[in-house]
Amino acid sequence: MRNRTTPLREVHVWELPVRFYHWINALCVVTLCVTGYIIGNPPAFMKGTEAYFNYWFGTVRFIHFVTAFVFFFNFIFRLYWGFTGNEFARWYNYIPLKRCQWKEMLEVIKVDVLQLTNKKIDSIGHNSLASFIYFLTFLIFLLQCLTGFGMYAAMSKSFLPQMFAWVVPFLGGDMHVRQIHHILMWGFILFAIVHMYLVFYHDYIERRGVTSSMIGGWKFIEEDVVERHDNRTEECPKKI
Amino acid sequence: MENQRPTFYEELRGKGVSRRDFIKFCTTMAAFMGLEASGVAQIAKAFETKPRLPVIWFHFQECTCCSESFIRASHPIVADIILDKISLDYQETLMAASGAPAEAAYKAVMEKHPGEYIVMVEGSIPTENEAYCCIGGRSALQILQEAVKNCKAVVAWGNCASAGCVQAASPNPTGAKPVHKVISGKPVINVQGCPPIADVMAGVVVHLLTFDRIPQLDGMSRPKAFYSRRVHDTCYRRANFDAGLFVESFDDEGAKRGYCLYKMGCKGPVTYNSCGIIKWNDSVSYPIQSGHPCIGCAEEGFWDNGPFYQHLPGVAGFGIETTADKVGLGLGIGTAVGIAAHAVVTNVRKHKEIINEPEAGSEVETKKV
Amino acid sequence: MADRIVIDPITRIEGHLRVEIEVKDGKVTDAYSAGTMVRGIETILKGRDPRDAWAFVGRVCGVCTSTHSLTSVRTVENALGISVPPNAELIRNLMANALYIQDHVVHFYQLHALDWVDVVSALKANPAEASKIAQSISAWPKSSVGYFTDIQKRFKNFVESGQLGIFANGYWGHKAYKLPPEVNLIAVAHYLEALQWQKELVKVHTVFGGKNPHPNYLVGGVPCSINIDEANAVNAERLAFVGQLFQDAKTFVDQVYIPDLLAVASFYKDWGAIGGGLTNYLAFGDFPSNGYNNPDSFKMPRGAILGRDLSHILEVKAEDPEQIQEYINNSWYEYSKGNDSGLHPWDGETKFNYTGPKPPYEHLDFSQKYSWVKTPRWKGHPMEVGPLARTLVGYASGRADYKEVVEYALKTLDVPVAALFSTLGRTAARGLETKLTCGWALEFYNQLLANIKNGDSRTQNNASWDPETWPKKAKGIGMVEAPRGALSHFIVIEDKKIANYQLVVPTTWNASPRDPKGQRSAYEESLIGTPIADPKNPMEVLRTIHSFDPCLACAVHLYDENGSTIHEMKTY
Repeated sequence: MRNRTTPLREVHVWELPVRFYHWINALCVVTLCVTGYIIGNPPAFMKGTEAYFNYWFGTVRFIHFVTAFVFFFNFIFRLYWGFTGNEFARWYNYIPLKRCQWKEMLEVIKVDVLQLTNKKIDSIGHNSLASFIYFLTFLIFLLQCLTGFGMYAAMSKSFLPQMFAWVVPFLGGDMHVRQIHHILMWGFILFAIVHMYLVFYHDYIERRGVTSSMIGGWKFIEEDVVERHDNRTEECPKKI
Repeated sequence: MENQRPTFYEELRGKGVSRRDFIKFCTTMAAFMGLEASGVAQIAKAFETKPRLPVIWFHFQECTCCSESFIRASHPIVADIILDKISLDYQETLMAASGAPAEAAYKAVMEKHPGEYIVMVEGSIPTENEAYCCIGGRSALQILQEAVKNCKAVVAWGNCASAGCVQAASPNPTGAKPVHKVISGKPVINVQGCPPIADVMAGVVVHLLTFDRIPQLDGMSRPKAFYSRRVHDTCYRRANFDAGLFVESFDDEGAKRGYCLYKMGCKGPVTYNSCGIIKWNDSVSYPIQSGHPCIGCAEEGFWDNGPFYQHLPGVAGFGIETTADKVGLGLGIGTAVGIAAHAVVTNVRKHKEIINEPEAGSEVETKKV
Repeated sequence: MADRIVIDPITRIEGHLRVEIEVKDGKVTDAYSAGTMVRGIETILKGRDPRDAWAFVGRVCGVCTSTHSLTSVRTVENALGISVPPNAELIRNLMANALYIQDHVVHFYQLHALDWVDVVSALKANPAEASKIAQSISAWPKSSVGYFTDIQKRFKNFVESGQLGIFANGYWGHKAYKLPPEVNLIAVAHYLEALQWQKELVKVHTVFGGKNPHPNYLVGGVPCSINIDEANAVNAERLAFVGQLFQDAKTFVDQVYIPDLLAVASFYKDWGAIGGGLTNYLAFGDFPSNGYNNPDSFKMPRGAILGRDLSHILEVKAEDPEQIQEYINNSWYEYSKGNDSGLHPWDGETKFNYTGPKPPYEHLDFSQKYSWVKTPRWKGHPMEVGPLARTLVGYASGRADYKEVVEYALKTLDVPVAALFSTLGRTAARGLETKLTCGWALEFYNQLLANIKNGDSRTQNNASWDPETWPKKAKGIGMVEAPRGALSHFIVIEDKKIANYQLVVPTTWNASPRDPKGQRSAYEESLIGTPIADPKNPMEVLRTIHSFDPCLACAVHLYDENGSTIHEMKTY
């Protein structure tokens, strides 16, 4: 076990675009979940009034749709950055193509989830399990865009939604698409809960400054870990 | 022989329909099909010059609601003229002959007009055991496959022929399949609905006759002329939806004021049909206008998208009224409990690491890279 | 040696019916009727929300559309102890009335008339003579010489086109057609008028149920709301529309249907002695005027008649396991208790077991199972259901309205009461009850107006809408007189889901194959002794079969994996 007084080095892990992406995405997800849930289960707070005085439900839907566009382009940008960003932002972090990535995932499950041992995981960016989970969320993002814009295609003849017009017939009708879209929303909610807990958990245990890293970009990493990373002698080099 | 067949227009005149009424009829049909005024002339021309189109109409696993709807077509002269116009040579509900002479009627069409006749199908086809639907000792599948071999096109009436409808609902005990799943090589027009709106049926027939081609179809082979809009987007109660005014229970104050039926499980937002535009039975009303949520009868598999009176479908294996939200909430609570447990275990198992942290104010060497 | 004649498909009916008859010396000596299509709707219903059942069973039949839905909501309400508001009852009655009138008119003109009317003979008619006859029997305004001349010309052009469409290969010129050309011409004119008219009355369904075929129903009431000060609900305009539709219907029935029926019947009085068949009649009764739970208030009384004994009306209790039982000894199903056992529908238990020939086939083997229709029995007796059964029960119960129309018809045709037990009687009874129904509809309509005027606009009882309020187990029965006869649904609800759902429908009673005692059901029995003038064109068989107004999709949907027995009962 490494001592807590091991010299630390500040590493610039998250570049500005990544941080922007993260917070825009977070804002979008929260907005989309809240408005989406309301669209699925509108509260009954209006009674005895007439339609022409009100448009709140239309507004909720409008916010949902606008946010969806922001979310979509933000997501596209992040995919782009996966090919041009720094090594921690690159796509190969997220897709476990290497044996050692799977091994590291097992390690993380043992150490952080099941807490069987107290070994330390030496990742500077995301550990392999976290990366893989992010990869899965990317798939959910993709599905959410497909199903969302698929449904939206019936309401808009503009170019972008029309690119998704095939989704509804492909999945066998709007009802199925709506159901998938709704179930995936719960995927976001569950992810958000676990994500926030784990960030605080890692700060609590490892004190590497995970939480603030998404604001400032810097993480505090033990000297030896950084050295091994720089010399490419770390246990699981992700770079291809 | 065929060239001597009277045209539709000649027939109309023979029936005492004036030129003026005829043009009026064409205008109505054109309006239905969304044509410009110039299209009226095209329709009129089609009827004046085209010979009558032979049609064979089969009934398989069905309830005859499509035939019933068809005879409700409501424009002044559609009900009987369309019947004559398309030379309906085999139609079990209406035809005079029974038994062998009846079968002879459609066989004669197949022999006399190869490549010209239209096959219209009402009902699904059982595949679990062909004997689940037999007519004249032959199975539905045998009859259909033989009849479509030389046909021009197939019109699949209603949800049964387009998507299997009620008999194909889980667990589909007879293996009921729609037309397009049991034949190949012929264009199939799915005229969806349970039943389709009478005037939509008439409109599809008129489209075939007028333009002599298959109407433009959507991704599920439904004519775009009638199925390109969601019931929701053409619903007269839509303003209430946008205003967030919902019926909370049947016959409540909102229901009496015509609020949106979204929360009563209305499937208008996921259903493509012309209910809100053409409406039913001479445009008298449609389900939502009469206070009942749309059950989505023009959509594939709508029977299994229920229960009807809730917005989201039930989740299989969780019982009545269990929606994705209930499952999601359950998982959310489960996650929270898991997290709490994990946090407790962390404090116990990683106790050493946590107290091993440096004292406040102690210096730790840091370097920027 | 008897000739075996197969008629398949029987057309101008709902569904897929096959009839095979044996003919000897110009008479039918034996008959078999087989339903040849099955869908399995009962299995599909299992595990679903009972409040949704009306839509599923509604799709059993699109001709008598709405009757199964009505039966279903009554069944679920019976199981859950729900009583509907008076307005809902009245609206349901009005919808059922509209169906009766429309369905019976369509049956007479579109489905049945061509058995009696030779359309080709109408071409030879003298329009002036036709006009004279038409005016002598009715005040219907469309009866001028010019009108009949136009119709004749129109029809002549049609025939000369060489493409006879639905009239191709009919039995035109058959010896059994007896109407003079002029009456044939009137009938052809009214065939076309009825076809145009029938789509009007169903608008009653569209107003209250949003569409037709397959209007919407609702457990606990009706989906439409009444608000006389609102454009979005049933208001004065909608009500006036319904009132007008019923007025027009009454005019059409009084001035076209009934005069035509009696005119045609007067030429076929010999059919007052043919096609009687069974001597037992069953009616569940319907059209409650003071709540469905009060059968005494029904406009159509409930009861059974055995052996044509009109002096005794027997009490009918559908929930009594000794009264109604279904057999499958000749149907393509199997029972765990044995092939010859009979089961009450609550314990209904069935499984597909097709043992017939592999299609294509020439003949069915009648020594084995031969139909998809089950065989229901009432206290072991085969029963006829339908307009004749209802009219007999109404007449024998001494109902004044029934007595009046029956006696009027008997007197007009100058035939004895015994002539009712026949093909002609069945067809006449359908017309007579249509006339009665028109009157009741206006009564219900006025009652609805009075209720609304008195400030009652409720159409729905939501007390038991929420499944949380339901008992863990419940059983229910719903009974309706469908246009084709006594219809009943049976439900078992467990854990808020349908555990078992069974339908015993009119055509099951009438079209079923033989029971274990070898007793024939109504279709088969009624064909015995029918004269067949030309074995190659057995039109006479169609007359009798059509007089029942077959509805085969209704009869053959019966399939249910394993009916479990539950002893806990709820209110009936």
